[in-house]
Amino acid sequence: MSYELLSTCSAIASKLATKYDEFAVMIYEVNNVMSKIINNQIALNLSRNLYVIDLYLVRRKRIFTIELSTSDLSQVIKLSDDISNYVGLIKESELYSPLPEVKPVKPLSDILDRNVENYLNDPRQICELLINSAINEGVDRVAGTLSLSIITKALVGSNGFEGLERGSEVTAYLRVFKDDSSGQWAYGGRSADLRSLEEVGRKAAHYALLGRKSASITPGRYDVILSPLVVGNLFELVAMMASAFYVLSGFSIFMDVKQGDKVASELVTLIDSPRDIELPGSTAFDDEGVETYDKEVISNGTLKTLLHNSKTASKLGAISTGNAGWIVPRAWNIVIGTGDSGEDEMIKEVKNGLLISNNWYTRFQNYVEGTFSTVSRDAALLIRNGEVVGNVGRVRIADSLRRLLNNVRLISREYYSIKWWEVTVPTKAPYMLVSDINITRPFE
Amino acid sequence: MSEDLLNYVVDYALSIGAKYAEARYQIDEYFTLILRNGELISVNKSVSEGVGIRILHSNVLTFAATNKLSRDELINTVKTAVGRARALSHLVKTPISFSEEKLGRGSYEVKVAKDFNSLSVDEKLDILSDLHRSTTTSVKEVSLPVTYCEYVEHVQRKMIVNSDGGYVIGNVPRLSIMFNLVMSSKQKGSLQRLMQWGASGGLELIDLWRPVQSVEDEVRRLEKVLLYGVEPPKEPVDVVVGSEVVGLMVHESAGHPMEADRILGREAAQAGESFIKPEHVGKFKVGNEFATVVEDPTIPGSFGYYEYDDECVKARARYLYKNGVVCEPLHNRQTAKIFNTRSNGASRSMDYSSEPIIRMSNTYLKPGGMSFEELIEDIRLGVYIKSYMEWNIDDIRWNQRYVGLESYLIVNGELGQPIRNPVLELTTAGFYNGISGVDKNLAFYPGTCGKGDPSQGVPVWFGGPNVRLSNIRLGVTV
Repeated sequence: MSYELLSTCSAIASKLATKYDEFAVMIYEVNNVMSKIINNQIALNLSRNLYVIDLYLVRRKRIFTIELSTSDLSQVIKLSDDISNYVGLIKESELYSPLPEVKPVKPLSDILDRNVENYLNDPRQICELLINSAINEGVDRVAGTLSLSIITKALVGSNGFEGLERGSEVTAYLRVFKDDSSGQWAYGGRSADLRSLEEVGRKAAHYALLGRKSASITPGRYDVILSPLVVGNLFELVAMMASAFYVLSGFSIFMDVKQGDKVASELVTLIDSPRDIELPGSTAFDDEGVETYDKEVISNGTLKTLLHNSKTASKLGAISTGNAGWIVPRAWNIVIGTGDSGEDEMIKEVKNGLLISNNWYTRFQNYVEGTFSTVSRDAALLIRNGEVVGNVGRVRIADSLRRLLNNVRLISREYYSIKWWEVTVPTKAPYMLVSDINITRPFE
Repeated sequence: MSEDLLNYVVDYALSIGAKYAEARYQIDEYFTLILRNGELISVNKSVSEGVGIRILHSNVLTFAATNKLSRDELINTVKTAVGRARALSHLVKTPISFSEEKLGRGSYEVKVAKDFNSLSVDEKLDILSDLHRSTTTSVKEVSLPVTYCEYVEHVQRKMIVNSDGGYVIGNVPRLSIMFNLVMSSKQKGSLQRLMQWGASGGLELIDLWRPVQSVEDEVRRLEKVLLYGVEPPKEPVDVVVGSEVVGLMVHESAGHPMEADRILGREAAQAGESFIKPEHVGKFKVGNEFATVVEDPTIPGSFGYYEYDDECVKARARYLYKNGVVCEPLHNRQTAKIFNTRSNGASRSMDYSSEPIIRMSNTYLKPGGMSFEELIEDIRLGVYIKSYMEWNIDDIRWNQRYVGLESYLIVNGELGQPIRNPVLELTTAGFYNGISGVDKNLAFYPGTCGKGDPSQGVPVWFGGPNVRLSNIRLGVTV
């Protein structure tokens, strides 16, 4: 592994020790290739090979952070010197808490798929597989992205922590078109799992083909099946709102909620799962050197915990959940608890409703109350008496996130590992049937 | 970083068979203060410095970025990128070429009246803490559970060299402040407002913005909206949309659909495509005579300011829609070639590690000659939507929604009672054909526009006058 990276962290740390009471140095080395597929062909190939150096610095309880995307180590020292001049001019941070005591961390194994290293220099086979997986299903046009990465992370802290991890990441998503209909699917994982990658094209094509016949719908309340892409998008926002920092800052539906309160249907379980090595957000230690662990954020509808670093934990009388972020705690991987239904069984359950296969542009009128809307894209299928009857096109879910969480009625057994443009935290997401959801579209 | 080294990289790429090569050194420096309830949480500095290299080789357009800046590392980056391009070349069916352009050779810089160092960090913090204090002292009957503030100084420097003779150096400092508040009433629930200021320039902008006074005034008005706001009328009415909302509407429904890469399907899997097709240019009628939308990177002091784009094409103003007709898409050299035209300088990158793609800069609806009072004087019953929180638009930029925050009834030509959460949900044609008047009060608002994968956020302004729309049915939130 890149012990050199750890040595660089230590070398920077030794220079910080004279100026700061506490510090942490984290370096990421990223080797990434991204191939962009447009109109059935490769339109661009991106390669990135870079260092990102992050510093956490504390002096007299004043907190400073530095982020550098540079390989010039003299800049790191210069900036840390510059920023120390502010110590006498500012007050101590209201979130200050000392870096936590170091405890043993069980490392994660098998987070590097060596095949990804090979595909980095020749992504042709996967690109062909992705394009053909959709074209072979009979679609006209394929667009999408394949991203392959090897990421090394090193962390050294003044609390004595030293950690090093090297892992792979594969993200692929396709949007495919047949006539005026489209479908989309995505995969995010640690490994170049060709079966899952092939499934991306097949699932996207399935919805594009299913949506060819158009149908109409009037605005109103409907039972709605959310695909794993939609579940991933919405539950990523729920997980963000479970970050104690966002609760403290007024960007959360959990601002007025206590641990143990019911916040969702009892079918809903949301797990932050940093120990799930199939998902690329997995990590053994957080940014403060705290060992990560899997935890239920929502368990059968009840809020079990917020996501904490040592600072938010101290402020709110909790203990760190291993989710630092030096300032903002965040989820590593999200796993949504599965149920005992299936996509087809859910469709049969719906008398008058929709299956929304994909969405984007989720925005809030009020984060605290959770009022939001999001727009469907790709197939939005009208279901009448248990049968798909057509594609209603672009409609909007405009409701309250609290209501949506409470109205979950069925969850599928099957789940998919999703990561794409609108689901940025790796997520294992099932299908969900949600009752009585407000659907809108323009009045004219 | 020396110009010679960038030239060396470009020459090396050509020497191993590239048809085109460009090397862009870019450094972005940020200084950020984060406060909660007027109290400092943290001070952040960030520097992103490296070289982005774009090469057309083996019919594959390839972009590579590195922050390892030695000559050897840069050459290795070129070799790796070309190797990967060769591997994928048989998956390319349509050869890529660029429009012929007379590329710029020069430099530009935004001059500041007050350097970022002209105030000490504690003086800056005093101003930001005042934002919180002024909100709490300005309200009488509601509580403010939390305010959150981010203050950002950003200096962006670029040096770009390409194999077609382009050579540009740019230096743009920018300042922005974001302030979020939650206002709460036991009887009426809560509302949330996110205010932003942003422009290119230095600390003189704070004198111009007067953010503390601005927040005080607005919070007083929002208190009335929360306490006394009523539902909007159910029947169709005239709706006057304020500059802040109009700016966002033209950004979303004129700027984005007029990005030529989106029209050609290049963003299909991410930000989507466009209701506009290549054959619509100069012909398709999207609105009435009021529907004139301008995109102009050269507005002095603007958040989206630049003089040359990242392909070294001279920036200029463009009409996206002119008197209701689709006019000129935003182009880079690749899309310009396909459209058989010239680039209009819309190629931008967020940072060194991002490929240059077609971006907006400053987008606005052309103002008219009326005063605001004249705009509303003959409205018997209507609604004025001054600000918003929630918005979105579909992936072809046709079906859009904006939820008003500070909004009022208009009764017999005058502003009346506040309204809560009116929903303006309409089509792009519905908006641009529904305009029945525009006033002369052009105002701009800052934003960070997202596009591409890896996602790139770039600073933009969007703006417009106050706009009257006729016969609109408003919705309400749940």
